[in-house]
Amino acid sequence: MSFTNGWKPSKRALNVLFLAPLTVYLLGLTLSPVAYTIVLSFQDRASQDFPSLANYRAVLGHFQFSRALLNTLVITALGLSLELLFGLAMALALASRFLGRGWVRALMLIPLGVPTIVSAANMRYVFGTVGYLNEFLYRMGLIELPVDWGDGGFKTLLTVVVADMWKVTPLVMLILLAGLEAIPGELYEAASTDGASQWQKFRYVTLPLLKSSITMALIIRGIDAFRIFALPLTLVGRSAPVLSTYAYFEYLDYNNPYTSAAGATLLLLMILTAVVAYLKIVGTEEVLH
Amino acid sequence: MKGVVGALVIAMAVFTVAPLYLMVKVSVSDPADIMTQHPPFLIHRPTLRHWNRVLASGEFWPPLKKSLIVATFTALGALLLAVPAAYAISRLQRRWKYALLLSLFFTRMFPEVGVALPIAMTFIRWGLFDTYPGLVLAHLVYVLPIAAWILTGAFETIPRELEEAAAVDGCTTWGTLTRVVLPLALPGLSVAALFSWLLSWEEFTFALYLTLTERTLPLQVYYYVYQGNWFLTATYTTLVTVPVLLLTYGLQRYLKAGYLAGAIK
Repeated sequence: MSFTNGWKPSKRALNVLFLAPLTVYLLGLTLSPVAYTIVLSFQDRASQDFPSLANYRAVLGHFQFSRALLNTLVITALGLSLELLFGLAMALALASRFLGRGWVRALMLIPLGVPTIVSAANMRYVFGTVGYLNEFLYRMGLIELPVDWGDGGFKTLLTVVVADMWKVTPLVMLILLAGLEAIPGELYEAASTDGASQWQKFRYVTLPLLKSSITMALIIRGIDAFRIFALPLTLVGRSAPVLSTYAYFEYLDYNNPYTSAAGATLLLLMILTAVVAYLKIVGTEEVLH
Repeated sequence: MKGVVGALVIAMAVFTVAPLYLMVKVSVSDPADIMTQHPPFLIHRPTLRHWNRVLASGEFWPPLKKSLIVATFTALGALLLAVPAAYAISRLQRRWKYALLLSLFFTRMFPEVGVALPIAMTFIRWGLFDTYPGLVLAHLVYVLPIAAWILTGAFETIPRELEEAAAVDGCTTWGTLTRVVLPLALPGLSVAALFSWLLSWEEFTFALYLTLTERTLPLQVYYYVYQGNWFLTATYTTLVTVPVLLLTYGLQRYLKAGYLAGAIK
């Protein structure tokens, strides 16, 4: 204790001292790797020329990349819409009082505690050719022959979307539920007095006041949907590449960090563009709350 | 309206539970009941054969050991680095606080494959590739922003007046921190440590990029998925999931939207 006894650092010195380790760590092991990736993406593999667009030319001309790009966009658009729809429906259901509400809420939150890799592995039992969804559809008399969910087409993307929904709809629901519970009850009473219908209350009271929660959910989920990796890798692997798995396969299969870096950089660019565009549309102050 | 809500709740509940039921079911089922044209939905011939095989194979304990050690050191490292920073952030002016919290959040915009690739390449040169310390360092990249976020929330609940009172009573800066602030923040510290532990326990991407020989448990799951062995996959996924579910259940009341913003993938 002796060296600390008479220690009276200024507030600023203390802040710098306390913030330095974390800042240095994140600069060193998050920001500089990203910078390194961007540099690599502009470096020619054969000639080591810098800057060069060779990797981007290769990637953009690559059939698998266009597929990965399209797949990522479809998964993001479809996934976000469905997660928001079901998340909102669940939040509205759970905002009303009913018997066993606490139990249902606890049950709904279970997927949040299940590792992504596990949820992906489990969905293979659901969507396998001799899996349980096919068996269910067969017993309902809806299909005669098993559906091949892993053929790499839209059906396969749908399995990724459903698996992702399983894992993250509870998160969307929690965010929206917090928003719903923050809306003062008097507003609904006032609306009722003015003769508003259920739908009008939802449309003119709930939705506008839920805007910042929806924005938060969309941004968090949007970023993760673009970056989605472990889930499609485990569930569908090479049959339906997304941008992240494309970048991984470039590194793994062709041992080419340069094109892998170019893929990752393009993905980063997409995320940045989407977030900035979205914030431009809804305004930044929504997010800070 | 009531009926629609009821039906929706029931449908979502079934959708939530079914995959987990299937996981446990497959892990205790006779292969003849699973690998068939029309598998039954109930467990017809229960067997512990897959569990015995996993626990007796010697393939289970090394990944368990690695996952346990890496997760524990990641949690300790996260506290070591994030506690001071989070304290400082919680005592900053509003606009600085938001700027820092937001920039922590922005680290999440980077695609993991774009961060893991250069880290793997650098760690190969530094001799950290395929080692425990290397994986801990990489997991901290992913865990630190979330730990700092949770901890900032914890420190914000401790009134500044307490620190001022301690200073008036003659406590040094160091004494105020160790004898007043940290003890009061202990619940928050535990939540942050447990969360960090969990995130490392289930982390997949960095482990995938940084591992050649000694797999962690999530990598072991991936390995068996790719072998196409449903039964061993189911057994391993159950083993990975159980501690996570127990811990998250315990942490449930701390699962606030704000934390979750960063904590759940």
